[in-house]
Amino acid sequence: MKPEQTFFDDPALDRAFGVVMALAQEVWVLRDRVQAMEAQLAERGVLDSKKLSEEPASDERAAEREAFVANLMQQLVGEQQSKGMP
Amino acid sequence: MIDGRSFAAGQAFLLSVKAHWTRVIYPAVRAEYEKSNDSFQKNVLYRYFCWLERHLQRFKYSGRYGLQPYHAQDRARFEASLAEAEVELREEMAFPQYYTAIDIHQHPGGVWSDPIAGFVYERGARSTTPLAGTRHKDLHERLTAAALDGRPAPQRMLDMACGFGKSTRPFYEALPEAEVEAIDFSAPCLRLAAREAQRAGARKVHFRQRDAASTGYPDASFDLVTSTMLLHELPPKAVERALAESARLLKPGGRMVHLDFLPGESEFERLIHFGHSRRNNEPFMEPLARMDLPALLGRLGLRNVEIRPFEEADGALAPGYRYWRFPWALISAER
Repeated sequence: MKPEQTFFDDPALDRAFGVVMALAQEVWVLRDRVQAMEAQLAERGVLDSKKLSEEPASDERAAEREAFVANLMQQLVGEQQSKGMP
Repeated sequence: MIDGRSFAAGQAFLLSVKAHWTRVIYPAVRAEYEKSNDSFQKNVLYRYFCWLERHLQRFKYSGRYGLQPYHAQDRARFEASLAEAEVELREEMAFPQYYTAIDIHQHPGGVWSDPIAGFVYERGARSTTPLAGTRHKDLHERLTAAALDGRPAPQRMLDMACGFGKSTRPFYEALPEAEVEAIDFSAPCLRLAAREAQRAGARKVHFRQRDAASTGYPDASFDLVTSTMLLHELPPKAVERALAESARLLKPGGRMVHLDFLPGESEFERLIHFGHSRRNNEPFMEPLARMDLPALLGRLGLRNVEIRPFEEADGALAPGYRYWRFPWALISAER
């Protein structure tokens, strides 16, 4: 196959923007599915849409969120996670 | 596996991005062009404009929720549904090099090599013009109206490069008594066109796998010869042959009507159109724009040669229209 056309000085930007757009598409596909699911569950009385959308009284998922953020930010540290090559 | 909801959401996302590109990014690019100096190629917004034009189309056809993988997973059902189609195909159709060298529209395998290509193309064409609103009359219906307007109804007509039959349909619906011939290179597209015509109850339309440059019909066979978005897919020599063939096939007094893209003289319009040509894998838009079509049609002995802008959607030719659009042009001549 031929190399893809490029539009920026650094082809890394062409490719990275492709990743951004692919992720954005995934976000929309997921959001669409979640909203459709909520609508179907609410229709059957399984889910209380109003309660779901309220600001939570407590920080319900703090620990999971912190683990999520820690994993994300760990990438920036630039340290090997096992004994390895320089 | 791509489920139906995810496919629809993924494609709808792309279409929304394309609509934004059409209505917001394009006018902004134009405004930056108007105040720019000669370094416009380096303009950041213009580069994103180009990137999006190229890659939204790639996502549409080949991406995670692309038309090709979505249809391919249901291949057996699509192929079986074409079994009933009555169409004249050639065993050993010899395709010209320009037809097979590049996958036009970034459609993987082109519009011809995969048995399900007609379905992929048909689905893709539904979202080619993101501005098509509720008042939108389909451009094929508009072409039909323009071709038939104020003239005696044709008894026999030919639609060149009919694809999956979208351009042919409004003709056979408007002219139920006419013999309608429709030709194309693509067997998968012809099969879908024929299946749809049969389902619509059209009895006097025939789909055949033939080259517009050399159709095999006798001289003076038709009152009307049409094509829609054919010429810009052809190198200039093939354009000349297709137009000469159109002229040969017309009865005296018959008319040819070809709908295609011809940009105006403005540098910006040409930059955008010729750039689209490259980004959408359609290399012959620029050579077509540089051809002297009136002179060519004149040499073919045709009269009442007319090339005029074509209004593909309400208001598209109004002076204040700011959105991206193709430079549609109606090319007509009489024998």
